Amino acid sequence: MSTASRIAHSEAPPRLFHRLFIANRGEVAVRIARACDALGITPVFAASTADRGAAYTAGREVVCVGPGRSSASYLDAKALVQAAVQSGCTAVHPGWGFLAENPVFASLCEVHGLTFIGPPAHVMHLMGKKTPAKAAMRAAGLELIPGSDGILSGADEAEAVAERVGYPVLLKAESGGGGRGMRIARARDEVARAFADAQAEARAAFGDPRVYLERLIEGGRHVEIQILGDRYGGAIHIGERDCTVQRNHQKLIEESPSPALSADERARTLDAAVRAAANIGYVGAGTMEFLLDEGGVLRFMEMNTRLQVEHCVSEMRSGIDLVREQIMVAAGHPLRLAQPDVVLEGHTIECRINAEDPSANFRPSPGTIARWQAPTGDPDVRVDTHVQTGYEIPPHYDSLLCKVIARGDSRDAACDRMIAALEALVCEGVPTTIPMHLQILRSEDFRENRYDTRTIPGWP
Amino acid sequence: MAHVPLVPIGAPREQITDETTFREHREALAEREAKLKAKRAEVHAGWGDKYKERVHAKGKLTARERVDQLIDPGTRIFEVGTFVNDGELFGGKLRSPGAGVVTAFCQVEGRWCMVIANDNTVASGSWWPRTPEKIERAQEMALRLRLPTIYLVDCSGLFLPEQSKAFPGARGAGHIFKMNALLSASGVPQLAGVFGDCIAGGGYMPIISDRVYMTEQAYMVIAGAALVKGAKSLKITSLDIGGPEVHVHQSGCADVRVPDDEVLIDCLRREMRRLPSSAAPFYRGDAGAIDPLHPTHELAGLLPPDHREAYDAHQLLARLCDQSLFWEVMPEVGEEMICGVGRVGGLYAGFIINRQGLVGDPEHPDGKRPGAILYRGGIAKIAEFSRSCDADGIPIIWLQDISGFDIGAEAERQGLLAYGSSLIYTNSTNKVPMFTVLLRKAAGAGYYAMSGLPYDPVVQLSTTVSRLSVMEGRTLAIATYNTKLDDDFEIVTDDPEERQQIVDGMKAVEARIEADMDPYVSARQMDTDEIIELGELRPYLAALVEMSYQAIGYRRIKNPRIWSLHDLEVLTRGVR
Repeated sequence: MSTASRIAHSEAPPRLFHRLFIANRGEVAVRIARACDALGITPVFAASTADRGAAYTAGREVVCVGPGRSSASYLDAKALVQAAVQSGCTAVHPGWGFLAENPVFASLCEVHGLTFIGPPAHVMHLMGKKTPAKAAMRAAGLELIPGSDGILSGADEAEAVAERVGYPVLLKAESGGGGRGMRIARARDEVARAFADAQAEARAAFGDPRVYLERLIEGGRHVEIQILGDRYGGAIHIGERDCTVQRNHQKLIEESPSPALSADERARTLDAAVRAAANIGYVGAGTMEFLLDEGGVLRFMEMNTRLQVEHCVSEMRSGIDLVREQIMVAAGHPLRLAQPDVVLEGHTIECRINAEDPSANFRPSPGTIARWQAPTGDPDVRVDTHVQTGYEIPPHYDSLLCKVIARGDSRDAACDRMIAALEALVCEGVPTTIPMHLQILRSEDFRENRYDTRTIPGWP
Repeated sequence: MAHVPLVPIGAPREQITDETTFREHREALAEREAKLKAKRAEVHAGWGDKYKERVHAKGKLTARERVDQLIDPGTRIFEVGTFVNDGELFGGKLRSPGAGVVTAFCQVEGRWCMVIANDNTVASGSWWPRTPEKIERAQEMALRLRLPTIYLVDCSGLFLPEQSKAFPGARGAGHIFKMNALLSASGVPQLAGVFGDCIAGGGYMPIISDRVYMTEQAYMVIAGAALVKGAKSLKITSLDIGGPEVHVHQSGCADVRVPDDEVLIDCLRREMRRLPSSAAPFYRGDAGAIDPLHPTHELAGLLPPDHREAYDAHQLLARLCDQSLFWEVMPEVGEEMICGVGRVGGLYAGFIINRQGLVGDPEHPDGKRPGAILYRGGIAKIAEFSRSCDADGIPIIWLQDISGFDIGAEAERQGLLAYGSSLIYTNSTNKVPMFTVLLRKAAGAGYYAMSGLPYDPVVQLSTTVSRLSVMEGRTLAIATYNTKLDDDFEIVTDDPEERQQIVDGMKAVEARIEADMDPYVSARQMDTDEIIELGELRPYLAALVEMSYQAIGYRRIKNPRIWSLHDLEVLTRGVR
């Protein structure tokens, strides 16, 4: 544990919110409640009927916010705000997923007297818009994926830009999402067609025909930077995380530092990222996602304006409690740490363990956990979870069971410690992804760092 | 409750209307808006390339080029009065696009201002009939919003063949200088750049300004060389009579001489930097401008172009307010009207809009009555809302789609005349900036009651489907031929000839009113300030609301040219 955080944790809890509403469920709800406990704040859990009796809420204040279907509970902004107000809370933590990046929810909290723990709604909104977000990041000196300077005026401009940035190129809808409104062109004669198709699909799907162009970078590594900002223009980074091991865009393993990033590029981008966060008035915890291209350059893709599932990787390396800092900053405290106070030590790795069957094409497997035993005793292993023996996994939500985080002096040491921890983890009753994780961690490709976003090392 | 309890309103497009209807509406509107774009382009072209080249040959910029260079890069102008004099011919054959002057809300160094630029591609910036009124209207807007006003002067004087229409009246050319004086007296900063001719009345327009810049091509004279030659038998150039050599150094009527247009425009930008910055970020607090959740571009498919077709007014508000968040005030009473508060560009504004279709009737709880009409409850509600916004300093946006007041025995018994008067008193005495939008119908006393132009909104905008009139053509045709019609409005006579006459007559009345309701007629006559595309409505409103919060131009400090001390000097010591 770094010096800075040892001091921070020995302090008496500061004066801040008395009651905090957790507008989320499961593992993240437990994580937020832990920070509340440390700060002397009473957490109030939102729970759908499917989660109401869950063990992780035992002994806690709970407000039922609707049925199991998340659209009528964890995604119902009005119901959540009403529950928070009526339960006497003054702050709302959205966790991740659900409404965490919804600026309407953030505004709704603010106008009804609740402090939303996250950035201001307009900053969230800006980062949710593709080309304005990129323009703001470029202004701060971050590298972008080469492409058009905002929205394309027509097929002619698309062709000109494609010739400049090189093929293949990707035409993307400004209002797009979920893969719709995207087209690839691999040569000049494909650009006009791809532009027209992307535009037509964008108009049909989103009512907004605006399209921009980027060079398509195939492969590459997914690297992200953890940012923390306060209300007064202060911002720091807590290093980077490498999340290249993914399956269908779902992250499986995250680690810090990135084993593929050069020291110069790391230093340059971390600096620029902090500057960018301060420029846009970022408040709270956020993550800037980059693609590390074949030339070793980090190129900004998007910013997640919330706490990430994998934030624990940065916490273990820095000794900083990010949720605690989020709450403090939201209550108006200036950042207590300056950049030199952030000491990043050793290597940390995280595995997300899901209730999925890797031998049956990762089919989600809800059910009851007959026996659960997480590894204990090693201070360099952390397990974040909301499950225990007898826990019934509801079918409505994602299948994350727990996250195991391990630290070591080197990447190999961290991996070995993780293997030992995963071997010690007992989960009976439902299949889990542990076997896959073990196979990856033991594979030569992973250990030798031979993979990109297209392949899972050690897994067919 | 000290929080502004905004809640999400509106629904996704697919839940409101089917794809076909939406597309049909959008296409019908697109046709009208294509015409609008074409007509705007025509005005922007002035008298065309030949005159543009003539300006360039003199080493000068055109009025629109000056405006483009003046504004902050990446911003757009919000023009008003584009279609003044639209379609009219003067001196028998001459068009005056935009009445020969560009008037537009512009952002310069982050501060909103009113720019008034003589169009030097139209008869060398002459003042046509209605040019003075258009300039005065722009000055009035600047005065109401306390916006710094920038004059880009290049004006050869009154278009003399039509002088009787622009010179003598209450709003004749001289009234521009009265407005100059009132702006100054109210503390609104005025800047002038003189780029060329500045003759007679034109000469007064710049010099009440706080700072006057002249290029080396500019002169300001009470009378130009031609008149001096005639009256005093003197041969002398206008530049010698009133160029920078005279006015900057001898008379003090201008402050600074600069070599050319480009430098002058940079100087004006520098002056704007010296003014206080906008207070809008202060009033926004920690809020910021955020697009509506339900996209604004959908307005074009949600407002049916046919004024008889109903729609859900909440869906329009959802596409105008930031994040589609709105606080509806008094929703239980007068449900034919919707009023409440939303944010536009992060700043609070009051919205008042007519509900269309059928609405509840408090007198007959089992029945329904048509919306888009003012009944007692709605009138009282919007009067009270209007007063409250005024008391609270919140700008008001009136969104009209109104057929008029309720009529008949019940309406009179309820005293609609009196409730309407209370509303009119309120709107007439409000100090807060009010903006009126004629979405579609703007008929009869409804147009007045909802702050139509006769009630001095700061700006009134029309859409391409606005219909401004006392009543619909069909209604007037029936009223005109009342004695010839039965109770079902059928023509009574059996004589085929007379029947045909009545049919033709009714058609003619209807056609005449229909033609009058054309928004371009309103815009030509200055009965509305601008015609805009529906997709531009939110940007216009966001700009106007931000101007309302800008709060520059409240401190009265007269510039030395108009100090009364100078008069004392002359009176006591004689002319220097």
